[in-house]
Amino acid sequence: MAGAGRDERAWVRGAQAGSASDFEALFRAHWPRAYRAAYLVVHDAAAAEDLAQEAFLAATRALDRFDSGRPFGPWLHRIVVNRAIDWARARALRREVGAGETIEAFASEERRDPATPLPDELVAALASLSPDHRAVVVLRYVLEYTPGEIARMLELPRGTVNSRLRRGLDALEEVIGRPEER
Amino acid sequence: MKASSVRDALIAVPVPDELEAQRRAWAVVRGAYAEREPAPRRGWQLRLVVAVAVLAALVAAALSPPGRSVGGWIHDRVAGEEPTEPALVRLPSAGQLLVVSEEGPWLVRPDGSARLLGSYEGASFSPNALFVVATRERQVVALEPDGDVRWRVTRPTPVADARWAPTPGFRVAYREGATLRVVVGDGTGDRLRAESVAPVAPAWRPGEGRTVLAYASTDGRVHVVEADGEQLWVADPGATPEQLVWSDDAARLLVVTTGLRHPLYTAGGQPAGALETPEGQDVLDASFAPGTRTIGYSLYAAESGQSSIVLAGERLQQGEGRFEDIVFSPNGRWLLTGWPEADQLLFIGLPGVRRLVTVPGVRREFDPGGLGATSFPRVAEWCCR
Repeated sequence: MAGAGRDERAWVRGAQAGSASDFEALFRAHWPRAYRAAYLVVHDAAAAEDLAQEAFLAATRALDRFDSGRPFGPWLHRIVVNRAIDWARARALRREVGAGETIEAFASEERRDPATPLPDELVAALASLSPDHRAVVVLRYVLEYTPGEIARMLELPRGTVNSRLRRGLDALEEVIGRPEER
Repeated sequence: MKASSVRDALIAVPVPDELEAQRRAWAVVRGAYAEREPAPRRGWQLRLVVAVAVLAALVAAALSPPGRSVGGWIHDRVAGEEPTEPALVRLPSAGQLLVVSEEGPWLVRPDGSARLLGSYEGASFSPNALFVVATRERQVVALEPDGDVRWRVTRPTPVADARWAPTPGFRVAYREGATLRVVVGDGTGDRLRAESVAPVAPAWRPGEGRTVLAYASTDGRVHVVEADGEQLWVADPGATPEQLVWSDDAARLLVVTTGLRHPLYTAGGQPAGALETPEGQDVLDASFAPGTRTIGYSLYAAESGQSSIVLAGERLQQGEGRFEDIVFSPNGRWLLTGWPEADQLLFIGLPGVRRLVTVPGVRREFDPGGLGATSFPRVAEWCCR
């Protein structure tokens, strides 16, 4: 599981007590993954920034009600990923003129960057999945939650999570080979 | 290949503008943290008392068969539930929103917190958002921001479409059946202003000076009158009026009609062109961008079931279903619309679509504790600088 630790609990307690430095430590510890997770689900940098920022604002407002004995990461990630799914679904529903272009531009950008250690196909394969499938893959492999934890975060049956993971991995398999689940 | 390879691959995907995004977000989040008011910490004695009381209630409840389900419910809450997130985030621009749901009007503050003002049907702000005027069955009610009733007028038959006149806010106009009535801004002097009035919200002409308003009559004409005086002019828009909208400079009145042509008039009642819309497409809502004569509107094509938002002739957004409202932020940098089919509010950053902020779960947000089956709330206004 991501991000649960003694430091983090101390930061949460400090932030609840009004320590701006503890709050900043909490933000800096969690922003990169929250932003990355949102980006990998929505494939739109501006939207990912908004979504991650909104999640932190929501967390800030609810900070005093948060149980400092519990890990902060899952709480935040649940907000980020659920909002990212909603956003991506809405974009699909809107049939934005630029929606396809965004994904294509994303892949093209990868092609243009010689330092990118990934094959373009990984990005394209991820983009080919539905937002719900992308979210499960991101929660499992970027944020490192177990299928059971993902099921609870997304309020899904465990079997649904597993099937989405399988389908997601099928799409990625052709690019990087089938991962061996441990 | 191992699962760790997938992780490594996904972690290696370059995310655009990562540090700048973090810097921008931190500035906003830090501000929100600085403004927050920490919940008062209760002493351990009080917590202990509460814990003992809860334990006693649990034991008592568990003694009866129904207590099993009660006990299970409490266990779920104690053991697993995380704090609920506030669904509506900080407004992207200054001002307050007035949102009207089935529950009543809600005042949404810049930090996203929302307050239900009471069980009313329609609402609009006073000129500086110091009050809200709302209607409920046969009553017109002026409310303070905390929901307290400042004054009320009770009529014999149902009332609707109450609108507060611009600064200095001396008058409130509303419809009662097929009549238009005007009341002084302190709730006194209620009187009939016009008869044979169509079910269209009256529109006060912006600006100080003479208190002038436009209304539509049942014969399809538009009238512009002084609140306490004479009729200034009358025009026939050519089709049934559905909405009356003034530009901020009071130099243009847009009449949205049921037809394809939506005429514009000058302050003196002279024709000033028209907004033309395609065959088969209805204007759902329209508004002038603040400080301009640029019109933003939502178009709905019944055949395809698609809506689009158009500003200055440019289509900003398109989607399935209906974009119900066209509401600009006071500074004109954001356009807000409600989107029932997606259960979302869309904040569109201007110009173009500079940014797009979506707020999901709107029905639930404005129907706390409900079943989510309520109608979608309307965004009435965004006020003020």
